[in-house]
Amino acid sequence: MSLLEVRSLTRSFGGVRAVDEASFDVEAASITALIGPNGAGKSSLFNIVSGFLRAERGTVRFAGRALRRQTPHRIARAGLVRTFQTPRTLTKLSVLENVLLAAPHHPGERLVRVFATPRFARSHEAIAEREARRLLELVRLDRHADDYAGTLSGGERKLLDFARVLMTEPRLILLDEPMAGVNPTLGAQLLEHILELREQHGVAFLLIEHDLDLVMRASDTVVVMNEGRILTVGTPDEVRRDERVVDAYLGAQV
Amino acid sequence: MAIGAYTMAILTVKTGVGMWAAAVIAIGVSILAGLLLGLPTLRLRADYFAITTIAFSEIVRYVALNEDRLTGGSQGTINLAGAGAAVQYDESWQRFQTKVQGWLHLGSKDVTMLVLVWSAALVLLVLLHVAVRSPWGRVLRSIREDEDAAASLGKNVFSYKLQSLAVGAVLGAVAGLFYAWQFSFFSPDDFAPLVTFFAYTIVILGGTARTWAVPVGAIVFGVIYAGTRFFDFPPFSYFDSADRAYLRLAVIGVILIALMAFRPQGLLGKREEMVLE
Repeated sequence: MSLLEVRSLTRSFGGVRAVDEASFDVEAASITALIGPNGAGKSSLFNIVSGFLRAERGTVRFAGRALRRQTPHRIARAGLVRTFQTPRTLTKLSVLENVLLAAPHHPGERLVRVFATPRFARSHEAIAEREARRLLELVRLDRHADDYAGTLSGGERKLLDFARVLMTEPRLILLDEPMAGVNPTLGAQLLEHILELREQHGVAFLLIEHDLDLVMRASDTVVVMNEGRILTVGTPDEVRRDERVVDAYLGAQV
Repeated sequence: MAIGAYTMAILTVKTGVGMWAAAVIAIGVSILAGLLLGLPTLRLRADYFAITTIAFSEIVRYVALNEDRLTGGSQGTINLAGAGAAVQYDESWQRFQTKVQGWLHLGSKDVTMLVLVWSAALVLLVLLHVAVRSPWGRVLRSIREDEDAAASLGKNVFSYKLQSLAVGAVLGAVAGLFYAWQFSFFSPDDFAPLVTFFAYTIVILGGTARTWAVPVGAIVFGVIYAGTRFFDFPPFSYFDSADRAYLRLAVIGVILIALMAFRPQGLLGKREEMVLE
């Protein structure tokens, strides 16, 4: 059984089938890249898997459980967390608060607990804060911890979103173009963190990425989409040799 | 406010429940009404949601106006027990107020009321302040800014919205109770939409998204609203007192416009928070 099983997922907008009978797996502790030209349906697929968009047909199973008709917050709590293509930074909260917000099972987030067991809530907050600061250090945003998140640049916001997602203690992270707008040095570090998280914590990644060099180097499996359909699934080498992929995607670029 | 005040008054006069117990039940009923309103309407976008809540308050007022047998209708609470049988709902409150007045050696009933209302307000404000600064409040602030982001991090947006509605209902009910106790009489007209707009004015004056902005806004608003009655210097002295009463509404309007132009964040708000995107 794979960690994530997507089967015959279909969704259309008007007459266009944005996602058309898409099926693929994501194994536990793997890095799977989802590539394809613009408009191939990658983001729609992300939206369906994370519960923000309803599929007309098809099933998504995560860790053996069907996710059909689940709300986004339930899916996130189950350990399947996503980032957005344009970072959804909460600009009016501080950078630290953005990360703290993602703390899972926080007793302080229950109003009754805030007043009934204030010490428990506070001690949990202290633990969460330590973890949040550690994650901010990881993405080199610790200097900005107390600034409004709205003061961060686009690339920094990507990193903040990444730190925030890690805070939720996920099992599978969906990353929508994590490297776009991030400076290359930092991008390389980000990739190291991804690899490290997989090694040490068994976190799996499904990422949409346009930097093919990076995709080919880092991923175990590549899923190629075109016009809503899954064109092929394979190892980076297999995909590189597949002529259909070259035609549909790589060919268009060369 | 209306639901809180009416529930308390009706229960006290008509069922013989003690006034204090009635007040607690009134708060409970208000919460229920808030949740009931929230269930279907919270899916709406912010401004449409605001419109439906105002409509809901108007429905409550019209029900109070027309259900004579339940609420006393347009004649107000004096008619609660039917024509000719003038009954009061606030005997317990009057006794309590006299006692407090004695303990604190206060000069008059009005001063006692002032002390009581502000103490209650202070307690509630401190509680609110603690709640808003807690992780619970952090989730609320995140939802205010971006529901999807909050949901993507595992927060149950709908539940938090209902909770904030419930908190709002408690505050409204308490305000309604004090209103009812202060005047010993009220009628549906006391809960006209104007009251809602005054509340908005107070929030805008003080600055949105700041706990302490509300009392500051309330004091400033109160001083302007009540104080402008006593404007007897030019140009106000050219008008007689009846006209002046209307003129002050215009003065409030001008102040609001000026505030929006020069200090859109309110007296205490943070301007930086308005420009961050």
